[in-house]
Amino acid sequence: MSDMATGPGDTTALLTGDGQPRPARADAWSRPGARRKARQVFRPRRTVPGVIVAAVLAAAGILGAIWAVSAALGRPLWTVSHGDVGGPLQNTVHWADTGTIAVGAGVAFIGLVLVLIGVTPGRPRAVPLASGDPALVIGVSRRNLRRSLSWLIEDVPGIDSAKVRTGRRSLKVRATTRLRDTAGLREKAQATVQDRVTALDPLFPLQVKVRLRRKKG
Amino acid sequence: MTRHTARVSRTGLVIVGLILLLGGGAVLARSLNASPSVLGSSHATVLTATQAGYPAQHSWVWPAVAAASVVIALLALWWLAAQTSTKTVRRLPLEPDRVHGATVLRADAATGAIIDELENNPSIRAADAALRGSALTPGLRLAVTAENRADPARLRTSIESEALANLRAALELDTLPTVLRLQFSRAFGRHLA
Repeated sequence: MSDMATGPGDTTALLTGDGQPRPARADAWSRPGARRKARQVFRPRRTVPGVIVAAVLAAAGILGAIWAVSAALGRPLWTVSHGDVGGPLQNTVHWADTGTIAVGAGVAFIGLVLVLIGVTPGRPRAVPLASGDPALVIGVSRRNLRRSLSWLIEDVPGIDSAKVRTGRRSLKVRATTRLRDTAGLREKAQATVQDRVTALDPLFPLQVKVRLRRKKG
Repeated sequence: MTRHTARVSRTGLVIVGLILLLGGGAVLARSLNASPSVLGSSHATVLTATQAGYPAQHSWVWPAVAAASVVIALLALWWLAAQTSTKTVRRLPLEPDRVHGATVLRADAATGAIIDELENNPSIRAADAALRGSALTPGLRLAVTAENRADPARLRTSIESEALANLRAALELDTLPTVLRLQFSRAFGRHLA
């Protein structure tokens, strides 16, 4: 099996197809600062839930202000007369009612979800790559990495199609071929992906696994 | 910068979430009769007659509610603005010594130069750049779409030691914190390879 993880300290310059040596890798492996920084940069910012909650709050505040002002002027805009806002709450709704419990549970649940969204780091938006300059953070999105790798493998003669899945620390490739004689094909695909991954030099090692399937026809 | 935006969004979410969690939890505690001696009986109605009639008896209640709502709305709008602002730098001071006159560089001239330089690289199909943060200590956001067959290691070296180095020299900065988003594209790959 030629499944190889690019391990720390692997700083050898590789030979490309055209025989020219690649620049030696940036060797940012050993620098925990680079990893931490990249992780922070590509951590989800949570701007979308933040903007939604902010918009809902702003709308609620504005509506509440309008309502309270109209109530203060004695001409409520809504049909709820302000003298007995809590009309039903006062007469028929009890604390132990299912409805009250459901509302309380719902509000507490939304609160919990928001706290979790704010606190959990979340799945990084990009795969961080090593750079030679500590001030430079490089990332490639998982989706684009998947697509670019599958294009590369599909260019390997004999490979029909390829699907790439990215895990936290692994790349799983499922390639299909129509060839009868598949000798060496898997290794070739594996080497293609491995070469690219080595050249990309991810800050967190990605283990490459290629599986080849023969399609009839 | 993005890390600032992230902090603003996340902190706000945690604060709002905690308020909702505590409020909802208090309602639940009362409803489930967790502690009748402190919170009161769960068989009572949600509002007592005195509570319901309170606003009608006291004229300050509705103005106070209105003021509180306005404060909430303003805070929420400020939060919204803080999350959506990109803080793009438009002008960069190049000559800090004001006695000899100020030299100001338009930021889009600097970013335009690095975009042109990057796009002249045959392995790069498209590039975009923006300066963010403060004018004195800007950060660069770079997006590069590279040809899929280009060697990423060589690409990185040329971006690092040529394009970025030139930009730093032009801006007279020793370091320029940069976030580079790399992307690969297949189109026209065969012509450029």
